[in-house]
Amino acid sequence: MTNRIGEPLVRRAVLMPPAGTVCLLLIIWALTGAGYFWPMWPIFGVAFVTALFLAGRWGWRRPPEHTRGLATAAAVSGVVFLGQCAIWLMSGAGYFWPVWPLLGLSVLVGVGWMIDRPRERSLEGRVDELTRTRSGALDVQASELRRIERDLHDGAQARLVALSMQLGRAEERLANTGVGESDLDLVRRAKEEAVAAIGELRDLARGISPPVLADRGLEAAVQSLADRAGAEVSVNADIPHRPPPVVENAAYFVVAEALTNTAKHAPGAAVRITIWSEHDELGIVVADAGVGGADPLGGGLTGLRQRVEALDGWLQVTSPVGEGTTVRAVLPCEW
Amino acid sequence: MIVEDHALLREGMVALLQENGIEVAGQAQDGPGLLRIVDGHKPDLAICDVRLPPTFTDEGIRAALEARRRHPELAILVLSQYVEPAYSGELLASGQSGVGYLLKERVSEVRTFIDAVGRVAAGGTALDREVVSTLVRERHDAASDTAIDALTTRERETLELIAQGRSNAAIARELVVTLGAVEKHISNIFAKLELPATDDDHRRVIAVLTYLRATGA
Repeated sequence: MTNRIGEPLVRRAVLMPPAGTVCLLLIIWALTGAGYFWPMWPIFGVAFVTALFLAGRWGWRRPPEHTRGLATAAAVSGVVFLGQCAIWLMSGAGYFWPVWPLLGLSVLVGVGWMIDRPRERSLEGRVDELTRTRSGALDVQASELRRIERDLHDGAQARLVALSMQLGRAEERLANTGVGESDLDLVRRAKEEAVAAIGELRDLARGISPPVLADRGLEAAVQSLADRAGAEVSVNADIPHRPPPVVENAAYFVVAEALTNTAKHAPGAAVRITIWSEHDELGIVVADAGVGGADPLGGGLTGLRQRVEALDGWLQVTSPVGEGTTVRAVLPCEW
Repeated sequence: MIVEDHALLREGMVALLQENGIEVAGQAQDGPGLLRIVDGHKPDLAICDVRLPPTFTDEGIRAALEARRRHPELAILVLSQYVEPAYSGELLASGQSGVGYLLKERVSEVRTFIDAVGRVAAGGTALDREVVSTLVRERHDAASDTAIDALTTRERETLELIAQGRSNAAIARELVVTLGAVEKHISNIFAKLELPATDDDHRRVIAVLTYLRATGA
């Protein structure tokens, strides 16, 4: 960033002295009778050094980083060759000797390129592979979490419900047969334990993946969050297709965390939630009309950012004091 | 009739209801089964699970709403593994006859469960205390200046019990107070929430929930 701001200044500082020198030489040449155009030699010298500098700088700023050396070498070699061509011209354009240094430079740059190219290729391939496997792993993870949530509900929890029901029936029967209070209490306590276990399983499952999200998708789940919030929450969602589970989960938790923050720091403030999908992106904006001044590096927001960045998305929090807080997130997704 | 895909639970529930003098007209495992039996046997009440085959998402709710559309007089009691205000809201909005939304483990409280079944079948309401307290609590947490805040703890407890569909006598038993005290709490609540008081249990619940939803919308 600072480089860009300083750039015009640097350029002026580099170009001003050579331009001044050239003007001075031309004046001297004109004053001394304008014979053999000798100023071309010093002019060439200054131009050559300047061109070398600029070529080097240009090459060094080429992205990506790992090809910088090669780009710089190629640019400098090009300038050296052009310089030699100029000397050849100025010294009478006889036998075209610059062809030999050109050959040498080409061989050097070519060898460099051949060494660098496969490395670059393999790096590119590796990046592609990592991107693919990471998103695959996250997809699998999200689907697995939903499966676990469902298994908890339909497997362990259903059995516990059946258990608690049978204990309830046993309790009723025992109460009717006039069994001792301590025996009855034992059954009652067993039943209460089963019910407590059901509650704990339910909380666990909800934390993994809220059922309404899996059942009805992002829009319904966000609407459900909005309905539960205490303040006025408007939801404007345009999601023609269901995104992959991993993206749905991340988007859901962005909205949930933003609403939790609003309820905590700006209770009662009106909230607008906008969700849209475009091309291969899902965008989420949660804006409240609260007091602002949220810390973008707070624990909850940092966790959220990591979650979003793991999907190659980004999350931005703007919270000027007195102007409310806006959380924006964009998640790439393939339909 | 009962719709539940988990055989152990379904059979247990049938036994539980029969032990308490309730006739079970039919059993089904999925949404189409529910509609078939409702069309054929015209039961007073359908008890159904939310997640049913084949997708295990919200088939139960959809089938119940469809059954309700075909037979507006059918009472519906949904048993769910989790609290989801969206689902209970849809059920309440679906008609005037009896509606219930309870967590599944409530079946272990046999007396209370049978009471709820009877209440819903008679056209009343039974909302799980978790559903009600989720609504009341979250309103309370976030909106600091609403009328809910003006309620005392006892009045809020009373309101939660009203919203579950309990009668005044049941509330008095639950809170261990006199019937007169409950009536006083209720008139205070209605005054503070600016709701017209009626004797009808079902309309009370609707009024309370309408109020709760209106403050959030």
